Amino acid sequence: MNLKIWHKMIIGISIPALITLIGGFFTYAYINDVKLRHGFVEIADDLRERVLEVRRNEKNFLLHKTDEYYRYSKDATDTLNKSLNNISPEIVAQAGNDEFLLLRDSLRTYSDLIHALLKNYRQEDLSVEKVREEGRKLEAFVKAENHDRELSPNFVLDLRRLEKNYMLFRDKTSFDRLNDALAGFNNLAPFCLYCVQYTTAINNLISVYNKITGMENDLQGIGNTLEETTDRIARSERQKVNAFFSSTQRLLLIALILLCTFGPLLVYQTASYIVTPIKRLADITRKISQGDMTLRAPIKEHDETYTLAVSFNRMLDHLQLTRSSLEKSLELLHEKHVEVEKRASLGFLVSGVAHELNNPLNNISLTAETMKEDLNELSAEELKEHIQDIISQSERAKHIIEDLLDFAGARKSTAMEKTDIINVLAESINLVANQLKVSHIHLKKDIHKTPVFIRGNQSKLEEIFVNIMVNAIHAMKGSGDLSICAGPDGQGKFITVEISDTGCGIPGKDLKNIFEPFYTTKQSGGGTGLGLAVTHSLVEKHSGDINVRSKVGEGTTFTVRFPLYEETD
Amino acid sequence: MSDKPRLMIVDDEPIVGKRLKRLFEKEGFAVETFTRGSAAIDELKKKHFDIVITDLMMGVVDGMKVLEFAKANCPDIRVIIITGFGKKETAAEACHKGAFAFIIKPFKIDELREIVRRACSALRKPPTG
Ligand SMILES: Nc1ncnc2c1ncn2[C@@H]1O[C@H](COP(=O)(O)OP(=O)(O)OP(=O)(O)O)[C@@H](O)[C@H]1O
Ligand SMILES: [Mg+2]
Repeated sequence: MNLKIWHKMIIGISIPALITLIGGFFTYAYINDVKLRHGFVEIADDLRERVLEVRRNEKNFLLHKTDEYYRYSKDATDTLNKSLNNISPEIVAQAGNDEFLLLRDSLRTYSDLIHALLKNYRQEDLSVEKVREEGRKLEAFVKAENHDRELSPNFVLDLRRLEKNYMLFRDKTSFDRLNDALAGFNNLAPFCLYCVQYTTAINNLISVYNKITGMENDLQGIGNTLEETTDRIARSERQKVNAFFSSTQRLLLIALILLCTFGPLLVYQTASYIVTPIKRLADITRKISQGDMTLRAPIKEHDETYTLAVSFNRMLDHLQLTRSSLEKSLELLHEKHVEVEKRASLGFLVSGVAHELNNPLNNISLTAETMKEDLNELSAEELKEHIQDIISQSERAKHIIEDLLDFAGARKSTAMEKTDIINVLAESINLVANQLKVSHIHLKKDIHKTPVFIRGNQSKLEEIFVNIMVNAIHAMKGSGDLSICAGPDGQGKFITVEISDTGCGIPGKDLKNIFEPFYTTKQSGGGTGLGLAVTHSLVEKHSGDINVRSKVGEGTTFTVRFPLYEETD
Repeated sequence: MSDKPRLMIVDDEPIVGKRLKRLFEKEGFAVETFTRGSAAIDELKKKHFDIVITDLMMGVVDGMKVLEFAKANCPDIRVIIITGFGKKETAAEACHKGAFAFIIKPFKIDELREIVRRACSALRKPPTG
């Protein structure tokens, strides 16, 4: 993904923030819901109370049957109705449409019934009045006429008592008794007008009573329905709230678990997502700092590390270029130095070589001249000796010239091969032998007798030792001892060559400089200061190391170590 | 034999000693040769020599030391320096220290003979024979 660290961080921060936000939103909605639900419960409770109020008034009304109680009852139903109508359609929909529909219908029937009941109560009053009136008329008639023995005032009185009981109790026994009495009464005087009228009034009352009882039952039934419905609504609301609570509890728990498990995972993921390319870069830088300049930072993500990696790589390219050009210059310098050194050494050598060469030459010319002068005096034996001298001295001169050519010349091979370091040392000593002689320096050798092989280049190795020895010769200015010790170490891993002089020594503060290129204490023209710098780089090329210890006025020891040759090399 | 001028030859090249010994014995000198400076100096301590011919560069005890010792031992002595390698400074130093002559190798026999003769006459003690 081509994201910048900046974006990754924003994502890393915003995802948890979003989760929290969503959580917060849900909690808010949840609290709102709880509030709403709580409102439902309250409304349901309110409804229930109103219904109970209605029922209480209904009871009173049924008991007292007066207009006043009718009004109370009607007020209560009106309030209930109003409450019902005040409930918003959403709540109605939430609580269940059917229940409310039932509630409304029932309430309408209920108030109609109450109203009808009031009318019937008034009718009942009239009917009761009528019965009483007819009863009184019958009583008066029976008293006055006295036309029949059976229809006695006592009988009528008894009838009226039953009538009163019935009106009072309105139960089956009193009704049956009254009915029986009435039947008897009708048998007694079937054609008596008052009797008929009274019976008709009573029958009328009975039918009114029946009707009222039916209506009252209906009313109570509907009242019960009202009560039950509101009860149901309230109960279901409470249940809903409870269910809602437990479900939110469950949800919250799940959310918590998710947050606990995925939160850290997410944070870790984001962090590693950000850190990985940086770490990769750090790794590479470390490796490069350990020396592998050819490594490059991988360019993978298109974030800030991309620019970093690109610039880093560019910097490395520059560095490598600079380094290789520096290396080239050093190489050039080295070549130059070798040349200069060679020339200087040659100059130095020329004096030695001149001396060295002049000796055999001198011997030859001396011998030849002697022969020329004394040719006749010399015996054959003596002549032979003279000629032999000339031959051997020419041979000697030839060797010197070969050595010289060798040194000045064409030892071009730079190949690293199995090289006997003991032989290298011997050759190196040969090269400086004349300088040693000229400078009156005594050479002490403690060199391993049998060949010791390392992987290296003969001429380069000679250069190393010649440089060190020439420096030593210079440091001793005229006389001193040059000691050379060489031999493998105990473990057979290294060969150590120690070259000590009894020269002026190097002050401690200068020790760290001597391997620097162009560091020299020799007067202008005396040295280039490249000798030890080149020596150092050559030693390193041979995987060796070089160390120096020195004491001013006593001398200096250079120790060079090379790993021994291994066949697997 | 005792009146012969005494000549010492010091050179680490044995051939030089051999040839010059024969040459100067013919010239009438009593010649002794040495290849090492130290041996020559030891001999100088014991015996008197009129002329010393010495090579300059010879290991530890070189011609300059022989010259110094000879001159210090006997100021009249004539010391002729031979060297394989002529450097102005060394020549100057040798002359300064009292060398009679300074010859560069390779030299001609006649050249050396001439110088030795001059040294001899300077001694006012010409060689006999
Ligand atoms: N054996 C030694 N004793 C005392 N000083 C030394 C010795 N070897 C090196 N040095 C000091 O270290 C300096 C640097 O040596 P280096 O070989 O690098 O340069 P140089 O000898 O001055 O010149 P060049 O070798 O290029 O002709 C010398 O000038 C000298 O002061
Ligand atoms: Mg040097």
